[in-house]
Amino acid sequence: MKRPRWLQVFLVFLVGACAGLASAVRGAPSDRPNPVGKQADAPSSQRAALTIPGPLRSFLRMAGISQKASPDEIVPFLARNVSLRGYSGQGFSQRPTEFLILLRRYVQQARELAVLAGPQGLIPVSGCKDAERILEILGYRTRPDCGQSNAHVETSDSQRAFLTIDSGFPLPELERTLQGGPPFTYVFPNSEVPVLLSERDWISVHEQLNGKDKNQTGLLDVLLHDPGVARLYAAWSRMDPETLVYLKQSPGLKRLVPLAASLDYYGEYIRIRSGRVLAPGGTAAEAQWRELVGVSPDSPAEFVPRLLTKDNGWLAAYFDSLARAAPDQQAHFLEPVRFRRCYEALRGRDARPSADGSVFRPDPDLVFLTTRLEWDRDVQPRVPGNLQAWKNLLNRKTNAEMARSWGLRLKGLNDAEGLLEAIFAFSRVPIESGPADIYLTLSELDRRRSAGRPLSPQTVALMADKFAGFSDQYLIFSEFPELTDTSIALFLNTAASLGKIPDHALRGNAMGIFQANVGVWQILARQGQIPAADLDPSWQRLIKPFAQISSSAQLFDAGRKSLGEISLAANGNRRATQAEVIDLVAGPRQTVPASQQMHSQVADRIRAVLNDQRLVSIDTLFAISDGLDSIGHGGSADKSLVRLAEELQEFQMPRPIFSRGERAEWAAGVYDNRHTELQMHTDLPKILASATSGQHLEDARGELVPFLRDTLVGLNYAYYEPPGSQALHNNPLLVRSHDFSGESIVGLEQLLWQAPHVIGTGSPAGGGAHLVGSLADLPYVLGRMEGDFLSPENVQALIWSDLVPGVIANAVVPRWWNVTSNELHAVALYQRAGEELLVASAENQELRDRVSSILSARMTPRDASLLDSALAENRVRDFSGELTPADLFYLTAEYRQKFPADPPWGPAGRELEALNRQYPSEVEWQRLSRDFGIPHPILERTNARELLSVGPLPTFEGYSSRLLAETWDSPNLYWARLADEMGYSPVELNRLVPMLTRRMIVKIFATELDDSPAILRAMRETGDELRHGQLAAIPALSRGSSPSTAVPAENEKVN
Amino acid sequence: MLKISLVCAALLWSLSIRAVAQDTEGPHIRVAIDLVQLNVAVTDNKGHYITGLRPQDFLVAEDGITEQIAAFGEGNESVRTLPNMVPPGSQPQPPVTAKEPGERLTAGELSSLVGGASVFVLFDTSNYMYRGFVFAQDAIVDFVRSLDRADRVAFYSYSRDLSRGSLLSVDRAQVLRGVRTTVAGDDAALYNCLLLTVQDAARFTGRKVIVVFSNGPDNASVVPPEQVAEMAQSTGTTIYMVSTEQAHLEPISNAVFQRMTAATGGKVYFAKNWKDEQDAFSSIRDDLAHLYSLSYYPEPNPNRGWRSIRVKLTGNHGKYHIRTRDGYRLRSFEFSTENASPNPQQPTPR
Repeated sequence: MKRPRWLQVFLVFLVGACAGLASAVRGAPSDRPNPVGKQADAPSSQRAALTIPGPLRSFLRMAGISQKASPDEIVPFLARNVSLRGYSGQGFSQRPTEFLILLRRYVQQARELAVLAGPQGLIPVSGCKDAERILEILGYRTRPDCGQSNAHVETSDSQRAFLTIDSGFPLPELERTLQGGPPFTYVFPNSEVPVLLSERDWISVHEQLNGKDKNQTGLLDVLLHDPGVARLYAAWSRMDPETLVYLKQSPGLKRLVPLAASLDYYGEYIRIRSGRVLAPGGTAAEAQWRELVGVSPDSPAEFVPRLLTKDNGWLAAYFDSLARAAPDQQAHFLEPVRFRRCYEALRGRDARPSADGSVFRPDPDLVFLTTRLEWDRDVQPRVPGNLQAWKNLLNRKTNAEMARSWGLRLKGLNDAEGLLEAIFAFSRVPIESGPADIYLTLSELDRRRSAGRPLSPQTVALMADKFAGFSDQYLIFSEFPELTDTSIALFLNTAASLGKIPDHALRGNAMGIFQANVGVWQILARQGQIPAADLDPSWQRLIKPFAQISSSAQLFDAGRKSLGEISLAANGNRRATQAEVIDLVAGPRQTVPASQQMHSQVADRIRAVLNDQRLVSIDTLFAISDGLDSIGHGGSADKSLVRLAEELQEFQMPRPIFSRGERAEWAAGVYDNRHTELQMHTDLPKILASATSGQHLEDARGELVPFLRDTLVGLNYAYYEPPGSQALHNNPLLVRSHDFSGESIVGLEQLLWQAPHVIGTGSPAGGGAHLVGSLADLPYVLGRMEGDFLSPENVQALIWSDLVPGVIANAVVPRWWNVTSNELHAVALYQRAGEELLVASAENQELRDRVSSILSARMTPRDASLLDSALAENRVRDFSGELTPADLFYLTAEYRQKFPADPPWGPAGRELEALNRQYPSEVEWQRLSRDFGIPHPILERTNARELLSVGPLPTFEGYSSRLLAETWDSPNLYWARLADEMGYSPVELNRLVPMLTRRMIVKIFATELDDSPAILRAMRETGDELRHGQLAAIPALSRGSSPSTAVPAENEKVN
Repeated sequence: MLKISLVCAALLWSLSIRAVAQDTEGPHIRVAIDLVQLNVAVTDNKGHYITGLRPQDFLVAEDGITEQIAAFGEGNESVRTLPNMVPPGSQPQPPVTAKEPGERLTAGELSSLVGGASVFVLFDTSNYMYRGFVFAQDAIVDFVRSLDRADRVAFYSYSRDLSRGSLLSVDRAQVLRGVRTTVAGDDAALYNCLLLTVQDAARFTGRKVIVVFSNGPDNASVVPPEQVAEMAQSTGTTIYMVSTEQAHLEPISNAVFQRMTAATGGKVYFAKNWKDEQDAFSSIRDDLAHLYSLSYYPEPNPNRGWRSIRVKLTGNHGKYHIRTRDGYRLRSFEFSTENASPNPQQPTPR
């Protein structure tokens, strides 16, 4: 599910565009206090500061930095934006981008205004006489007569005027003064923001490397003109503070500037303590690192530069990837032979391209391997299937050629270690569906299956063989490990046979109906409506009707039978009506009135989408089909049947703006509504009037197929409707236009079973965007399509378009019908108990060490170090704001597991223990993880919901901020806590979670692609709105309405 | 007395919003179309506005069925209810109160519904606008200032997303602040954002006009212009567009802008320079000042889909040109209230 190359290029463009031009924001600069410990290298009173001309608000607008960034974040963000987005090209062809040009110009303009403002930092304008200079600087002039009531300003110098507007100068207020209004006074103070080390340190290193430049007098100028120093500063700001003390001394900033790129990507997890680099694997592994690097970790001054430069940065990438792994995982990799062989495989014969030369960090699979690799009981790498299956895969011509062209070093594949080496080698090749991808996916699938039921070699071979075309479909197999090898093969073989149907229209309809039914099954299975024991049998029953499809009539019958099997599995009724199917999909049957009301609301939402897409009811379609059967048995086409048939003709295309010729010319390959046009040409009443033979009747039933497909597909779309969606409600061609068989576009033929592509975006003659491909990953893709309808609350705030779909999917996929009040309360208690642990740890060294140890697994070394400082200095309350709900939840869960004998550290902890004694199954991690977790299609290769404790991941090439969305599992926990505290019942989360998530998204005001603090801020702001009654929300229902047992009140004694 | 089979769109619109605000039940509202309100420009061969026409000078037909005009107004004058449309025995009952579907409006209610204009300015702040950004902004500022007789103005800007810089308001200073705080950058999703603007406009009663300043290209919308045009037509929202000569030369933008504005009864202007832009805005202001407002309750009509509207002039006036929307689709619309401003300001009838 990596992003295609063209999208990556687009993303890079987008990043530049967004950061460069869309950087401005409105509102006052953040008045948040500095997060405690963010600047750990000096007390605040002694911190060095950087002077920025003019108000911070204006500067942040121009520099593409969130107005909500804390002062400590500003210079690091600036350095990062300049180094990442400030230049295009490399070497001598490197040129500043428009973003950087504008920023430099703004600084110049601000300095001119600062001169005007003088030491008082005020620009007073009493009237026309003293406005001349400021207007000149701003690029405006007055017309027609200054001082008159009709006077106004207009542009005189567009370059300056652009900066004036873009930086948020209050022009209308100045204008009023020039119309004879009250005097204008603009507060224009210079701003000071904290700087790492001292300003002189950075200027010196710049001068040492580039010589003195009289025009670049301060750090701000250096950052805006020296990309090397800017990159080093950005890297520096993310590193462990104690380590920086060593690195500054030796090798020193000057030696590190050329290594800034590598340090930026791979420096975050380098830690130096007591004069030694803490290498992954600890002291036991030092010898191996010494051997590999060529320098002992005892000599950080030499070790670090060598590590960063060796093998084009790949050794640093290996170091960093291992450092991110859990200690036990590190230990497995640090087995002496394995350690070296894995690295040699990764490096290959040719370590080009370098590991630090791309816009984003390469090789995400390397981190996935080191952090998530599965081991068998003998601590050997898991081998799904058997070795032969992998030999066959790796010996394929394409893989062999790839290995040659990338200079991969592949040794004999004689054992699991050999397989692991090969996978490491291939991880470096940036292709989709390569051996590393296949291995990670099948390993995960194999792991999830119950003991004694591993994937068979044949299944592994089959899945590997079809991986490039079907990998996105495999997520359902890891979500439901109950599905047997037979079921997997049945699915793949059936899909393959459907894909070979020669008739385009029939093929598209078959693929659509088949997948729509699979999607309905998935929904019902996920909601627990299909009994576990029937998961596998019902899966096979739903698929088998599609085994032999050669006509539309056959397909109609297959689709109907298949849907009937799903309905039978879920509610014991094979002939469900549309209303019953919608009710089923909406969620399990509810017994309590309030829950029934919520269920009805969810069902109504589904109906609303089906109505707006103007889809024909399956009741109508099935009734017509039954009527045709009846005619075949000697009946006649009565009026009611004709009336039903006429319903099929009610849909009208939108009034066209373009002619056919224009569409052909302006939207070639985009506009394709053959499916809809075919439907509109269907004249079933006429066919009914003339149907005499069995074949005619068969043909008539076949005419129903496109309608059946759309309704079933529409059901899937409706279920995953993103909050705030518009296309689903305003483009009735959207579902109809879903191209399953690749009719409308060339080049995706091999990817039609993969996650769909959104085609037609920004093509006005194309009839609107539509999806081409399968229904896999539908929640994410719909989120991608609809996400831009959510208007940011802050003017042109940066909300990354790769993040939003993931966050939406995390809110839309989980449903809350089976969650009990005890679970909801437990989730809240876990978080509150985490806060209690933190507070208690400030006074207790032993507890502090434990807390620190647990939380550091989820943090970068820098943040872990800051946490340690905060705990040691009893600044816990301040620091707790930096921790996410997931951090707190995980802290409690992990602490309880590691130290079960320890008494609780506060009332929430005590209540949690009481709850646990009474309702252990509702408090256990596995259950809460399943019910409150999110899908991790990339990290875990599954759609199963889970709470995953992982540290922060960088922005990788190919994934952009999608990984951030996958690691960001706090919102559902936080919404649950809010719901519990405010008295909402669990089922109300079905409405609250999408609504709150939508609010959170529009509040995001990020700077970087991996700006998780920005999401945390947005989440908390949303929570505050809910708490203060500023959000339209349903009234809280009583606890008793939920399906669970009552919960003891806080402090209530439970025996 | 006319038989009313449909319900008043504009009224239900505002009532529906209120209902949502009160019970906060759902993020979406559904609205049925009823009272049809037309903005009609009448010009001679040289493009001069023809003023002083009377209700009886107009013939309105929907799907060929002659309609009776219920309310009439010219330019910025108050809209008046035509006497024969007042239900016998009814008394003016301001303020407007909730109506059941199919219930008729009183004269006072009707007048309050179709009086006044709500002008939504939608400004392109995408990367495409980068070079001409400040000049276009100057032109919009002039336009907003010149709308001294228009009732309410909102200022929105768009790039990849919509930004509601200033909600509908009579406070010009607030609107101007909104204009001057826009910033340029990002992709252009004109039709996505125009759709949201039409939805916002549809929440208000009276004449609704959207004035779009766009550099032309759209590279990020997922909804097609046809759907936006249909929604504008069906909610009685007139769209004007001011664009650039480059857009004129670019066939797709040119075609969409021409056809979309024509379909909704508006106009398009392609400006060669910023002076042309100012002239275009002046022309729109003139147009607004000369539009006739015609409202009618549709006669019974079995057509549940697209209904065509034809407006003609009677007698000697037949030589003049008529510009108005050419139809609407009879459907209930569902607008998400989540995307709109949390508290849309209700208009104050004048």
